[in-house]
Amino acid sequence: MRVRANEYPKESARVIREEPHVRESVTGATLNFDAKRRAAYAEVDSEQWRHFAEDVKNHVLMNLEHYLEQAATALERSGVRVHWAEDAEAAQRIVAALVREKGVRRAVKAKTMISEELGINPLLEGLGVNVLETDLGEYIIQLLEQPPSHIVGPAIHLSLEQIRRLFHERFGTPLDAAPDTLAAAARKLLRQGFLEADLGISGANFVVAETGTLVLIENEGNIRLSTSAPRLHLALVGIEKLLPRFSDLSVFLSLTARAATGQRLGTFVSLIQGPRRPDEIDGPEEVHVVFVDNGRSSVLADDEAWETLRCVRCAACLNACPVYRQTGGHAYGYVYSGPIGAVLSPGLVGLENTKPLPYASSLCGACFQACPVRIPIPKLLLTWRHRAVEEGLTPRFEKAAIKGYALAMTQPWAYRLASKALRLLPEKALDNTVVPVLQAWVEGRAGLKPSSKSFRELWEEGL
Amino acid sequence: MKERILSCVRRALEHRPSPVLPDPLTLPSLSREEAVALFTERLSGNGGEVVRLPDLKGSREWLEGFAQSFSGAAVSRMVPPVLYPALPALPPEEAPLGISWAIGAVAETGTVLLSSREGRRTQLLPPTHLVFVPEETLYATLLEALQALKGDLPSAIGLHSGPSKSADIGQVMVRGVHGPGRLVAALIAELSD
Ligand code: SF4
Repeated sequence: MRVRANEYPKESARVIREEPHVRESVTGATLNFDAKRRAAYAEVDSEQWRHFAEDVKNHVLMNLEHYLEQAATALERSGVRVHWAEDAEAAQRIVAALVREKGVRRAVKAKTMISEELGINPLLEGLGVNVLETDLGEYIIQLLEQPPSHIVGPAIHLSLEQIRRLFHERFGTPLDAAPDTLAAAARKLLRQGFLEADLGISGANFVVAETGTLVLIENEGNIRLSTSAPRLHLALVGIEKLLPRFSDLSVFLSLTARAATGQRLGTFVSLIQGPRRPDEIDGPEEVHVVFVDNGRSSVLADDEAWETLRCVRCAACLNACPVYRQTGGHAYGYVYSGPIGAVLSPGLVGLENTKPLPYASSLCGACFQACPVRIPIPKLLLTWRHRAVEEGLTPRFEKAAIKGYALAMTQPWAYRLASKALRLLPEKALDNTVVPVLQAWVEGRAGLKPSSKSFRELWEEGL
Repeated sequence: MKERILSCVRRALEHRPSPVLPDPLTLPSLSREEAVALFTERLSGNGGEVVRLPDLKGSREWLEGFAQSFSGAAVSRMVPPVLYPALPALPPEEAPLGISWAIGAVAETGTVLLSSREGRRTQLLPPTHLVFVPEETLYATLLEALQALKGDLPSAIGLHSGPSKSADIGQVMVRGVHGPGRLVAALIAELSD
């Protein structure tokens, strides 16, 4: 997908100004997710679980070659066709070849972020394949031709009213239809889609190397259907998704569900070992797995950013983030948004393409507290900021501003002078500022109003 | 391509230390009665229903009553014939009721474990899903269940922990999106009469 992350400051200001309902919907949804996550963490020894999950993932990542070999061997043993894709184009070539070779006309998709990353939908449409997103939220945003705005709830930026209007226009449901009615309308259409599709496309939450098991977590049942009904199943899997042992799933399945939605387990979990066997009455005839690098091995080589590869895409950091809550995910300009997007995207697609993202944070640390695999997101935000400065990617006015700030903060005379000057500005002068850094600030916010007296003066007057 | 990716990975990891793989985390096990109570509490909490039946004969009697409100059923081939309801057999695409025989259940999470050997469509397409669970395969924890299953894995296992749901429409919880909107687990205490 196209990376538009450098437009983050503008785009977030625009969302806040022009689409105030986004903030409302996203804040409501994420606060709700976050409260559930806290309750679900409190029910178990979540500290111990998180340390365990971190240690297991570190072990896998530091022995990744071994586990990839083991997983590929186990998958092939049970009849899965394993493919390898270095980048998005390679993945697209594999998918295109499969589509042509097998005469695929219709595909159903189970929510997968990596397929967004690899641009699979436009590819399939270009090949004349009818593509249906089957996760309800994904289906809604597919109708609107939007990318997902959240890893777990792709449509959380939309209000019930907006969805009612959309369904009214498309399917003629009443404008005041209950969510049940809307879901029933979508279900009917999508059910047909499952039964007619030749190909089901999924990602994978995990791949167990020991048993060659593809693991998928969900609540609706669309993933189970997408991987059961069509004659072909294709799973796109990032090379970092491995777990060593089948038994590791006990912690990873439950911890991921707790982190994502506050459940003890996703309503449906699929453990897939391969295509249907001769004695089975249904299931796909062929299962294809594509292991995708697309920047991951260079992230692995980075002695700080590699830790982002532990990510299980639970979105707990998005839900905990006061900055994400203001705009939702679209403003971040890449498939991975929120705190994890801010530290993962620079590694995957280059800091020069994503330089504002590491600044999209107040460094409050809530993301780290929420993260089930203890990714030190605040630390990594600082790492990327340092690198942006080192690589000369920060704007010139910022350097000048920081220099001025340093002067004001180290020299009392300069501080007094600067604060006096600010207070003497006429009212509203800061609303229409020409200083770029202040301009970016006021674009999405109310104007700045310096108080008429300095803190020192107030202090001397006894506050 | 495989070799290229693996060699990138190898190069990335040169001179990096390998942390040890920790032992699995275990949770305390439970007695049969405790496991039944916890399973019931957890699956009900997830929006499922649980009944406890004494044996196959008792299950048969209960099924006669339960089946009355349905016009037909898709029954998995793993279900013992004594538990076929007196209903017209329908394909899963059309049946209002699907009946499964679980390969296990987990108390900790309120989950039934379903094998692809019985057919996946029966588990997914009918709006109501009835799952018989022999109590001897009710595990206290997910770890115990996974360890028991590992030796003999079918091509797919489904872990179902409640009715299909989604909050994708305006954050309102809706049931029965795609998968069954009603999940009934029928625990059978003793299989042999
Ligand atoms: S960084 Fe952590 S909290 Fe955020 S999505 Fe990844 S695993 Fe979840």
